[in-house]
Amino acid sequence: MIEMHDVWKVYPNGIEALRGIDVKVDQGEFVYIVGPSGAGKSSFIKLMYREEKPTHGVVLINGVNVKRVRDWKIPYVRRRIGVVFQDYKLLPHLSAYENVAFAMEAVETPKREMKPRVQEVLELVGLGDRMKALPSQLSGGEQQRVSIARAIVNNPTFIIADEPTGNLDPENSWDIMYLLEEINARGTTVVMATHNKEIVNTMRQRVIAIEQGVIVRDELGGEYGYED
Amino acid sequence: MKIETLGRHFREAYRGIMKNSWMSFAAMGTVAVTLLIFGVFLIFAFNINYLTKELDKQLAVRASLQDGMPKAKQVEILNKVKQNPLVKKADLVPKDQGLEEMKKSWGDANFIEGLKSGDQNPLPDIIRIEPSDPKKVKELESQAKSIDGIVATDSGGGVTQTLLGFSGVVRNVILIFGIALSVLAAFLISNTIKLTIIARRKEIEVMRLVGASNWFIRWPFFIEGAFIGVVGAILPIGILLILYQAFFDTVNSGAAYTVIQMMPVTSLGAYLAVSTFVLGAIIGISGSLLSVRKFLKI
Ligand SMILES: Nc1ncnc2c1ncn2[C@@H]1O[C@H](COP(=O)(O)OP(=O)(O)OP(=O)(O)O)[C@@H](O)[C@H]1O
Ligand SMILES: [Mg+2]
Repeated sequence: MIEMHDVWKVYPNGIEALRGIDVKVDQGEFVYIVGPSGAGKSSFIKLMYREEKPTHGVVLINGVNVKRVRDWKIPYVRRRIGVVFQDYKLLPHLSAYENVAFAMEAVETPKREMKPRVQEVLELVGLGDRMKALPSQLSGGEQQRVSIARAIVNNPTFIIADEPTGNLDPENSWDIMYLLEEINARGTTVVMATHNKEIVNTMRQRVIAIEQGVIVRDELGGEYGYED
Repeated sequence: MKIETLGRHFREAYRGIMKNSWMSFAAMGTVAVTLLIFGVFLIFAFNINYLTKELDKQLAVRASLQDGMPKAKQVEILNKVKQNPLVKKADLVPKDQGLEEMKKSWGDANFIEGLKSGDQNPLPDIIRIEPSDPKKVKELESQAKSIDGIVATDSGGGVTQTLLGFSGVVRNVILIFGIALSVLAAFLISNTIKLTIIARRKEIEVMRLVGASNWFIRWPFFIEGAFIGVVGAILPIGILLILYQAFFDTVNSGAAYTVIQMMPVTSLGAYLAVSTFVLGAIIGISGSLLSVRKFLKI
């Protein structure tokens, strides 16, 4: 569960990216964050995985007030959250398998537990037969699937994605969406910022629209609502 | 920390060193030169300490008794001396015994024989007084001098005291050089680690995102720094021990009755090796600490 109460994000240069956000995302929900460029979507996402701290207001991640958490404990908060980006952030010198295993190694999972779990998630994202491939040998869609595998491998309660289909063609974008939907169906909460009108309008999930740092719309089964 | 994780940290540290092998090599070289200088300092310091202790053991006041004093009177004065709480031990040394001792320590019997004018022994009877506290030897000397029947006193050590003072200055100069060089070495190490951090920024970003603990991220960099420091220590330890042994042999074979007594290699070696090693590790870890604090934003 993620909760925000009167959250403001003012960057050091004075830009007010978020201005009084009140929102609650429950366990198991699927939420689209939409809005024009520069509206504050990425800022909103960054607060959710504690990349940024709120300038004002309260952010609760699984009931934990992120402003109060000691710095050394933040990693343990992050372990409950998987993040996915437009540019995948895969390590180029590691294979698909190693990229996913890297996330398990980073949280000190015993080696013998790693192998079956990495294989399991790579099969789940449909890359069971490409485990040895380097990112440069994979298509954009495949790379994004590796990054989703990495995001879910440590069993997070949340997946937070900032324009995960931003670099993909429609076909690959749909593959990614089906995958995220399947992950959501298994009980993982998914929050995703997107500019993809077709996807939002087809999937009919909860839609939160942000404009100039303010939530202007929050509806279940909503539409994209902008003409890009 | 799990053994498995520790192994991983060492592998990562090794990768970091190999990636910037030339920089790491230069840093190790600087550490080696630094520790060589520090080692010389330590040798000086250890030996001054050793020499001071050895000299303290030999330290004594030689109180000359009035010539021709009867034996009973000498014993009376001896007992008086012994009452002083600053005295650990006091003995009568008759002039004949004094001459024998002198012959032994100078080794040149003819020269001593020449001192005798005929059968006359030119030495006085003395009382040899050992102080309970070597630092109070001068105080003891002046107290002994005030006793009736004691005509002269000497606590010696003038030359060796000067020598000790001079060695102390040399030691301090070396220390200052050593400290300046350590700072330089630590900066060089911090620079190589900065390169590793920059080369790894993508990995560090991913580690942060998936929730690696701060220490998990930092460990390899500390190991890398410590490793550079410790490897840089091996060469100077070897060089120092070999040179010291050679120097020790020369000094000790050449002069049987020299005032300079060097600490034997067997007792110095372990101290020197451990101190140099620890210093190398400290320099290395400080270097890592510098760059981790500055460049690794977690
Ligand atoms: N680190 C930062 N420092 C200063 N200003 C920032 C920073 N990040 C974002 N901003 C500003 O905050 C505002 C909101 O940016 P944000 O990235 O949240 O928008 P967005 O909705 O994600 O846009 P887009 O759809 O283009 O990705 C913008 O005006 C942006 O310039
Ligand atoms: Mg954005």
